[in-house]
Amino acid sequence: MATIVHEFDNTFEDPQKRPPLVVGDHSFHTVTEAVCRINESPTAPALWWIIFVGGVALLANLGAMIAYLFFTGVGVWGLNNPVGWGFDITNFVFWVGIGHAGTLISAVLFLFRQKWRTGINRFAEAMTIFAVICALLFPGIHVGRVWLAFYLFPLPNQMGMWPQFRSPLLWDVFAVGTYFTVSLLFWYTGMVPDLATLRDRAKTKIAQIGYGIFALGWNGSARHWHRYERAYLILAALSTPLVLSVHSVVSFDFATSQLPGWHTTIFPPYFVAGAIFSGMAMVITLAVPARVIYNVKDIITLHHLDVMNKCILATGSMVGFAYITEFFVAWYSGNNYEWFTFKNRQMGPYWWSYWIMFTCNVIIPQIYWFKWARTNIPLMFVISLLVNVGMWFERFVIIVTSLHADFLPGAWDTYSPTWVEYLTLAGSFGLFFTFFALFLRFLPIIAIAEVKGVMPRKHAHGHGHGGDGHGHLEAAR
Amino acid sequence: MHHAETIDIMQEPRHLERARTVGHQALFVGVAALGAGVAVALFGGKLDGFLKSYLVSYTYFLSLALGALFFVMIQHVTRAGWSVTVRRIAECITAALPIWLLLAIPLIAMAAKIYPWMTQTLLSPDMAALVEKKRQYLNFGFWAGRIVLYFLIWSWLAHFFYRKSIEQDSTGDPKLSHWMHQRAAIGLVLFAFSLAFAAYDLIKSLNPGWFSTMFGVYYFAGSVQGFFGLLIIVVAWVQSSGRLPRAITTEHYHDMGKFMFAFTVFWAYIAFSQYMLIWYANIPEETRWYLSRQTGAWAWFSVFLLFGKFILPFLFLISRWPKRMRELLIVGALWILLMQWCDQYYLIMPAENPESAGAGQLPLHLNDLLCFIGLGGIFIWAVTQRMASCSLVPERDPRLHEALAFENY
Repeated sequence: MATIVHEFDNTFEDPQKRPPLVVGDHSFHTVTEAVCRINESPTAPALWWIIFVGGVALLANLGAMIAYLFFTGVGVWGLNNPVGWGFDITNFVFWVGIGHAGTLISAVLFLFRQKWRTGINRFAEAMTIFAVICALLFPGIHVGRVWLAFYLFPLPNQMGMWPQFRSPLLWDVFAVGTYFTVSLLFWYTGMVPDLATLRDRAKTKIAQIGYGIFALGWNGSARHWHRYERAYLILAALSTPLVLSVHSVVSFDFATSQLPGWHTTIFPPYFVAGAIFSGMAMVITLAVPARVIYNVKDIITLHHLDVMNKCILATGSMVGFAYITEFFVAWYSGNNYEWFTFKNRQMGPYWWSYWIMFTCNVIIPQIYWFKWARTNIPLMFVISLLVNVGMWFERFVIIVTSLHADFLPGAWDTYSPTWVEYLTLAGSFGLFFTFFALFLRFLPIIAIAEVKGVMPRKHAHGHGHGGDGHGHLEAAR
Repeated sequence: MHHAETIDIMQEPRHLERARTVGHQALFVGVAALGAGVAVALFGGKLDGFLKSYLVSYTYFLSLALGALFFVMIQHVTRAGWSVTVRRIAECITAALPIWLLLAIPLIAMAAKIYPWMTQTLLSPDMAALVEKKRQYLNFGFWAGRIVLYFLIWSWLAHFFYRKSIEQDSTGDPKLSHWMHQRAAIGLVLFAFSLAFAAYDLIKSLNPGWFSTMFGVYYFAGSVQGFFGLLIIVVAWVQSSGRLPRAITTEHYHDMGKFMFAFTVFWAYIAFSQYMLIWYANIPEETRWYLSRQTGAWAWFSVFLLFGKFILPFLFLISRWPKRMRELLIVGALWILLMQWCDQYYLIMPAENPESAGAGQLPLHLNDLLCFIGLGGIFIWAVTQRMASCSLVPERDPRLHEALAFENY
């Protein structure tokens, strides 16, 4: 097994050659080994247990908080009139946003022929699925009368009651639901060849049956590869508009209203840019420890991190552009309410949240103009956390500052979240990390077949490791 | 990727001297048409109408040049390989930007005739009071200064990327690529702000009471969509003149077509978002702008734009084969170019006040055509003079071999 422990710098800036996307002395076989041993090892690394146990503990806490909420009512949250949306919808938008990077990396970068995506797409997609699950939780539990939560869906019923089809909240149900379905299909379709690899290597009966079912009888024939590539391309093309549409529809929840700070036409692309920004940051947050725990540094290389940090710089700057545009147009509109809202964000009772947002999202990522920062692993880990803090606060700023002081000063009120809301937020991370830990343990965390397709030696290297199921890769490419 | 054969770029005919003559002819026709337009305006006594026609074609060709500048920078910042063989042509298109600063002079000189915030008498008392609150931004001196500043930024960027690229033709120094890569990132930041504010200043401020945060993005989306139409046409012209016969292949047309398709959808996404949000919230000060565009004949024009700039090109370009059939793709590209002009017409021409007399009529005038030909002639002249003076391909770009061997899969 050839694993290179030291950090190989493949972030060079020489325009005459492309950086290798897999470093170290890897053959097709050693790539398979490097990824499969993660799932095949009888014991998991200590850090995995920390993530898993911590995740499960927080998940239990989430269950307790939801039970408390259900049995007592939404009064356990700090919501009031006028602040009818607080942590619940902030968390919803936050998690939907996180769920954008996976499909962006898989679909949009696939269409743009960005081959570096192969190193990170699998677990970025997994992250997407789990983040969307976390997101979907919140509209479900915030409705107050949870036993009527099925009203979210347009189900035929004897009373002839239908959701309001003109409401963006219903569009959200469709948009996020579609996104979840297609993302799941995309993730799963891409995983089939790798599941077959795990199946073929499996030693225990349970693993053979488990992976066998989900590998769908994949045998690596040219016909399978042909259909797989077609399906993958079609799913990529279907997912690309979805990457834009989901967060656009989420932004409609706010922007269709007449509320200053919510009603602004740049919201759809601005939300999409912010979502990709936060999603990329979450990929860094997860990739940095994962590549250390599982020693896959030569597949998720420094170059991958460098490029993702550039994406963070680009999308963070787009978000900054939107903040500045909003602020300028609020003044330019000549509308007193608009202008008040934006001044209130910066200098009102929630000024600190605005400045946390602006610092974390716009100012701090500017350090990525410098290559030393983009390739400094501890620094990028810290920045990725800060970006996620900033993006959570962005949603908090949008929701709370606009609601707490609208047109009638007599109706103003401030919002203070309760301990239940803090613990529910923490619990949603528990849900996310539990799923993610299970994914790390049981599924191939790197797209083995795709990585082989971008290896520098794919043409030179002989192959035919029988059961690995990758011998046909070259035929398909 | 399959390396079927290696193309030696030095064997390709890559200079188009004929472009110079074509440019001179275009300039002659253009200046004549503009002169005729001025004459028509002066004798007809409708100088404001002429200026609006002028502005439509002015922002139209500006959008194409800005799209080219964006394309050049985005290729550098992403270190794109496929596009090297068509990048020089985009660099040539940016040659129009400094010329467009000169062509802003009549616009700045007579701005008070079409920008109602400059002369309060054109506005209702309420609107005048509103505009008064924006006086710090909407005043002639600052406005004119900003226009000049935008053009200095764009001309400087366009000049930098062209000059460095030409320098690489002779030196072959790969460091230049790295340098352009870095400058492109900073250039894109400057570009984003300057383009958005230019759209506010040149177009949005025609309706000084109206505001939309999306407006800059809207102008950007249409600019890039239109630019890809132009790029396809110019590349096809270069090849029909026998230049770069093997360096640019169906694969490149296919990719340019894909981008044209992508920005068609992106434009529709932006246009829909802006319209839907304003329609849904139904706030009078915002709907006013759309009301002017939904009154009388303008309503039909809006529908025409919806179908012409999005639905038809969407259906046309979605399949693989029209993007790979040169003749069809050219038809699509010409149509996109026409629709981008119609979009500028739609942004600029309707009345500021939807209730004013004649608000529902399309003010179609001979000057629309004359200004189009006039500014178009000058645009073609600016672009072709540069095309005649340099190699049509960045012949020693370190990534050229990728573009030459490029295949879609």
